[in-house]
Amino acid sequence: MNRTKTMMTRMAFVVAGITMMSATASAQGAKATAPKPRKAAWVVPRTPDGHPDFQGNWSNGTMTPLERPAGMGRALTPEQVVAMEKIRADTVEQLAKQSDPNRPAPPKGGDGSTGAAGNVGGYNYFWIDAGDHMATVNGERRSSIIVDPVNGRVPALTAAGRERAAERLRAYRKFGEYDNPENRPLAERCIMSFGSNAGPPMLPNYFYNNNYTFVQTKDHVMIMTEMVHDARTIHMRPVARLPKPIRPWMGDSHGRWEGDTLVVETTNFHPEQLFRGASDNLKVIERFHMVDANTILYRFTIDDLTTFTQKWSGELPFIKMNQLIYEYACHEGNYALSNILSGERAREREAAAKPPKP
Amino acid sequence: MKRSFLVAAVMVLAAAGPLLAHHAFGAEFDPNAPIRLQGKVVKLEWVNPHAWIHIEVVQKDGTKDVWMVEGGTPNTLLRRGLTRQSLAYGTELIVDGYQTKDHSLKRANGRDVTFTDGKKMFLGSSGTGAPRDGKDPTEPPVKKPQQ
Amino acid sequence: MLRRLLSYSFAVVALGTLCGLPMTPLHAQRAKLPRTVAGKPDLNGIWQAMTTANYDIEPHDAKPAMALRPGPVVPIPAKEVLALGAVGAVPAGMGIVVGGEIPYLPAALAKRNENRENWLTRDPEVKCYLPGIPRATYMPFPFQILQSEKAVFISYEYASAVREVYLTNPGPPETDSWMGQSDGKWEGDTFVVTVTGFNDGTWFDRAGNHHSEALKVVERFTMIGPDHIKYQATMTDPQTFTRPWSIELMLYRHVEENARLGQFKCVPFVEELLYGRLRKTPIKP
Repeated sequence: MNRTKTMMTRMAFVVAGITMMSATASAQGAKATAPKPRKAAWVVPRTPDGHPDFQGNWSNGTMTPLERPAGMGRALTPEQVVAMEKIRADTVEQLAKQSDPNRPAPPKGGDGSTGAAGNVGGYNYFWIDAGDHMATVNGERRSSIIVDPVNGRVPALTAAGRERAAERLRAYRKFGEYDNPENRPLAERCIMSFGSNAGPPMLPNYFYNNNYTFVQTKDHVMIMTEMVHDARTIHMRPVARLPKPIRPWMGDSHGRWEGDTLVVETTNFHPEQLFRGASDNLKVIERFHMVDANTILYRFTIDDLTTFTQKWSGELPFIKMNQLIYEYACHEGNYALSNILSGERAREREAAAKPPKP
Repeated sequence: MKRSFLVAAVMVLAAAGPLLAHHAFGAEFDPNAPIRLQGKVVKLEWVNPHAWIHIEVVQKDGTKDVWMVEGGTPNTLLRRGLTRQSLAYGTELIVDGYQTKDHSLKRANGRDVTFTDGKKMFLGSSGTGAPRDGKDPTEPPVKKPQQ
Repeated sequence: MLRRLLSYSFAVVALGTLCGLPMTPLHAQRAKLPRTVAGKPDLNGIWQAMTTANYDIEPHDAKPAMALRPGPVVPIPAKEVLALGAVGAVPAGMGIVVGGEIPYLPAALAKRNENRENWLTRDPEVKCYLPGIPRATYMPFPFQILQSEKAVFISYEYASAVREVYLTNPGPPETDSWMGQSDGKWEGDTFVVTVTGFNDGTWFDRAGNHHSEALKVVERFTMIGPDHIKYQATMTDPQTFTRPWSIELMLYRHVEENARLGQFKCVPFVEELLYGRLRKTPIKP
């Protein structure tokens, strides 16, 4: 019930937001004659050296996917937004409902769930904190994070990119999925958050803890991703770029100011962290621009023409969080990885013990 | 018309929608070993990446087993004002889920974890009602800095 | 006579040198500290301790290895570390504990000794676990302090450990953690950080020195020159120690051109150790 109330509040907020934006647009159209606004306009907070001050905690949790589903435009209509956010809110509400205390064990053979929850279900929704709103950029509610190419999709691979993808697949198929810890995804191994959460590009993980801490000093901008406590230090003063053999997780980031926009270029990505099958030549350019007290517009461009047939870009808002970020000490409590590997070993033992079928 | 955008909406949600597990649950747990556990909380490992709830289950013959039930990240709950203290040791829980594939371990996923009246753990007990995610700037902060 | 004169003149020179240093006015030295806009000492930079304290924070002599077994004459390296030869040997160190010895309660001392016996299987550093405080400060890796008017954040090379030092106390820690909750404030020119909310998983060193969840650490960062920080920390943990005790050491700034923090994300480096037995085809020893 509270949930609905919160949703309604949010919805009202969103609607108000849209109304405000259109009001701003028309106000800009009639600049010369517009009366001075009564309320003091928002002023960009600044650090002592005069740059916009991004410091604090931010979240990029959203329902908007990276790629646009077929048949949709870039901007969603208000009806679409309401419908989609309602589906999420209803799901949350449904999952929060009481269960039958006399319920039996779930069905033998699995519960039919798909994805990572593969046939055994996950856990109660109260653990989850995926985004519950569609991203708003420039007053538009977005159907995808990618905005260039205009179809909102990752561009086609080049011939070299396709060849590399095939090579990766061949290497992957040399092993079973559960043969070795190295065959498991980075998040399960507690090396990086899932998806490209720490990035760059920093994308939502559509699950939980989509949170970041920004700290700005004279010489650095530090962005810490809650999962897996990964601090990326962006050099704002000229510092020699890393030599080729050094390829840290999250790469080597160097930043500069273009007016009030923080522009960051990152290269030297870790070989296991090449975004969407990119090559060693991958360069990611990020732009951070504060558009109001609660919003940073985050834009990124993927520059790797040896892999993609064109450069491609996306954008999404980072929303100010008025809450704390907690330690995400993943590796230290990682029972799951050993359970997964030992589970597979148990299954193999069982299969070996079974008498061969006549 | 209305239908087509709802279809599209569902597609967006499918694309962005959360999996209900952080990692390969399907690999960790055995779909052929469903379980229903009822017992008292004896320990709570409030750790990342997954909280583990230890519950003591009394068997028909009177012997006791301690089962470990896998949950999600505690950080999301902390931000909603729930802590380890929100679940007192001795609280009776009902869990349904599947046992780990490695049957030598007494571990299971907590597909559904509720109090004995069927209310969801952490949702039913705290009285906080709706989870607050702090991403809505109009929401009051759960925890106000002191000083 | 000449000899006496020479030794006399040497003594005069030596005396002059000795007197010369303390005669530099203290405020003149302090004035040389880099400062923030708000006038606080500017701790921004990459810092590292030069000490063998991570082997043992108490005074310790050199020895052939961290893990030893009885030999026919003297103890020899345990077989797990034998192949490392001199690389696995332990250098001597004066220790960093003020007064030399940690005031353990008897049971806690017994546990320390047991930890020491089982170093290889118990030291959280071996498993690439987060180091906790104060150990993170004197591990053989640098760390970076990011200090602004609004925030202080410390990023450690080892295990990509991090902590934000809250300048506005958010209240008691809501959960236990490896790095604890850090609350900072300035006392004059000293940055004082109170760290609480630890779990009991971290150690002080490789020698098995440990604590309970009740640990409180009060750290004091005092810049004594542009490139030096005196670091002091006082540990209070009535479940483990008979009284509060302190450590003291020096932190040195990385002054080399292009100095930057490296990355030692060691989780993948310990997968064979932690999960090797669970491979489809375990690697033969």
